[in-house]
Amino acid sequence: MLNLPRWATDCLRRAEPETGEAPRPLALWERQRGAMRLVAVDALAARAGLHPEQSLADARALCPQLAVHEIDRPRLAAGFAEFADWHSNASPIVSVLTDMAAYGDLCLDITGVDHLFGGETRMLETLTDRLQRSGFTVAGAIAPTVGAAWALARFVPGQIVEDDPGAALAGLPVAALRLEDRQLAGLQQMGLKQVGQLYGRDRKALQARFGASLITRIDQALGRLEERPVPRLPAAERHVERRFAEPIGLLDDVLMCARDLAIRLGVQLEAEGMGAQGFHLFLYRVDHKVMTLSVNAARATRDPEHVARLFANRVERLAGEYDAGFGIDMIRLAASSVSEVDPAQVGAFDTGDGAADLDRLYDRMSNRLGPLAVLRTKFVNSHIPERAAKLEPVIARTADDPQAVPDAHLPRPLRLLPAPEAITVTAEVPDGPPAGMVWRRIGYRFRKASGPERIAVEWWRPGEGALTRDYFIAEDDGGRRFWIFREGLYGETARPGWFMHGFFA
Amino acid sequence: MQGRKQQQVERLRARIAALEARPALAETAAPARPSGGLLATAPGLLHEIFSPEPRNGGAALGFALGQARGLLTPQRPALLVMQLSREARDMGLPYGAGLVHFGIDPGAVVLTRVETVTELLWAIEEATCCRAVAAVVADISGYHKAIDFTVSRRLGLRAASAGTSVFLLRYGDGREASAAKLRWRVTPAPSGEVKLDARAPGGPRWRVVLEKGRLGPGADGREHLVDWTGHDFVLVDGRGSGNGAGAAGEAPLSGAEPAALGHRLSETG
Repeated sequence: MLNLPRWATDCLRRAEPETGEAPRPLALWERQRGAMRLVAVDALAARAGLHPEQSLADARALCPQLAVHEIDRPRLAAGFAEFADWHSNASPIVSVLTDMAAYGDLCLDITGVDHLFGGETRMLETLTDRLQRSGFTVAGAIAPTVGAAWALARFVPGQIVEDDPGAALAGLPVAALRLEDRQLAGLQQMGLKQVGQLYGRDRKALQARFGASLITRIDQALGRLEERPVPRLPAAERHVERRFAEPIGLLDDVLMCARDLAIRLGVQLEAEGMGAQGFHLFLYRVDHKVMTLSVNAARATRDPEHVARLFANRVERLAGEYDAGFGIDMIRLAASSVSEVDPAQVGAFDTGDGAADLDRLYDRMSNRLGPLAVLRTKFVNSHIPERAAKLEPVIARTADDPQAVPDAHLPRPLRLLPAPEAITVTAEVPDGPPAGMVWRRIGYRFRKASGPERIAVEWWRPGEGALTRDYFIAEDDGGRRFWIFREGLYGETARPGWFMHGFFA
Repeated sequence: MQGRKQQQVERLRARIAALEARPALAETAAPARPSGGLLATAPGLLHEIFSPEPRNGGAALGFALGQARGLLTPQRPALLVMQLSREARDMGLPYGAGLVHFGIDPGAVVLTRVETVTELLWAIEEATCCRAVAAVVADISGYHKAIDFTVSRRLGLRAASAGTSVFLLRYGDGREASAAKLRWRVTPAPSGEVKLDARAPGGPRWRVVLEKGRLGPGADGREHLVDWTGHDFVLVDGRGSGNGAGAAGEAPLSGAEPAALGHRLSETG
């Protein structure tokens, strides 16, 4: 657990260019119920006696040289989320604890990663050191439960508890349990000042007096109740990473590295007989930001060449948005949606039916052009023509409904307009085809026509008020065959409208 | 002895055709498609299909799909239709149920809608290189500076090396320099008569001229009136009602389609 109590002001201070003069105290204020109150103060301001909840006028009186800014919560929250993501270079599971403050508490699950840093103590030192060096006020602690780690980070920074959080917490004030103000005041009144004093109490009585949340907090801190913070980034099942002594910046270098990582990941997956459908490239910038590139494959794969090409295509699509900032010091390639893959399938370009080749082609096209650019027809059991054939991304193929395949005898046009266009018809006969029309300001005379094919409203769909359509195939004197319809029967509506809907071959 | 010589000649001819990336001519080895008809083309060619106006888009697409249908094989089961999304709004999107009616398995057709011409050319090239794609049909209704001789040459070479046919649907009367092996001019033609109903439009019919390239004796330079039977093209003799005659004269490819065709005719009639 990392606690950054002054993150908002630290972050602002970092963003502002350094000036030669001595730094001024900094505070952020917000309008709360009509009053301007401080919500965050930096270390200098705190030393001058300022604290959150103070009114802005009081603060200015106490500390005339105070620099103040109005707080921009959405921006800070987004900034903190990015900051949290960046910490996934230490541990893949990072979450932001928001139940006490919108930002300031980072929770890292370091199960199984601490040995990479040379033990828990060294890891904690590394993480806090690198933040302190960049100007953040930070305190950290390691404990078996989220609740205990939170308490230790606040009250005993630097503490590492291997097991039995109960003993470590016993001497801390009750505020270490993440309680509400009301609950804290009540406990004070009863003389319960330390966490240890709560251990032996009758749980029912405590619950009746302070609410169920107190019991929950105690149980969470002691590990009787499991607490799982939501990870910011989806936990990757398999990943490989590479750190750089010198930050890299060129896109080509990144792609080359991605290819190397794909080979390593491929070996890892092959050993397990697995393949993956999603691949994510995380680029950790030195300035505490993470860029994510994701590609998806239609079928599980572990072929490094294919994965590298998908990333190369994906990168072409982002061209202008790539910004390495001051450089990238770590790259991680993670695989998601991992499933078993038939070993024969991998790398085999000669599988007879070419299905694998096609899937690769669709993967490349979808990743370069966007998933909504490569589509297949999926039939839906409906009589309404535009509803009967839905377009869905090829790489997100769903099962076909055998009932929905249209009857080949029904005359349907080769091209369908996405939205029917209104036309003006001439020499209209009730219930018959027109003799001509004006469409897109050009007049047409029909030589032949057949119909009507009547398509009624799907009455089981509520609230559309749509009208019955009569479809006609009309051929003009040039041989063009159109699919036009009249919306509304004579009698159903006063003035039926005519529309162009499609073109036959 | 005679047989061996014959075989050698055949082999050499095939090699020359492959080198020149030309359609196998009528006098060379066995025809590329058994039920080819006069207008059948070999795979691996770049076609341009011109139609005078964008409103003939249905006819142009139909002709291209008709050509492409013959190229589908179990090894090459896919057919890609590409459009610019802003043009797709005007020209209409290929419609699944319409494909079924036309005689093409909609499961084989994949639609691609892209935003820019650069992306379109990239997509055509990428798809052409794939050996599991039978044909790429691209709709290009406007004039685009990016599409020039170099691009067509490039596509032509890609098509020849991968054996995938490319059909560029172009509109208008202007002809730019291009390296396409075959250039067609396709216009819709008034349909033939339907039995029992003189007022009903018949099946697809085109007026087709092969403006550039050679297919075989009798196919070049002349205007042909062509009907679609649901699985192949049939020539219609100028005056008569070719529809019925063509359907009857054509040897059935498989059991299901001619039956369906017959049923359709009698139903519309």
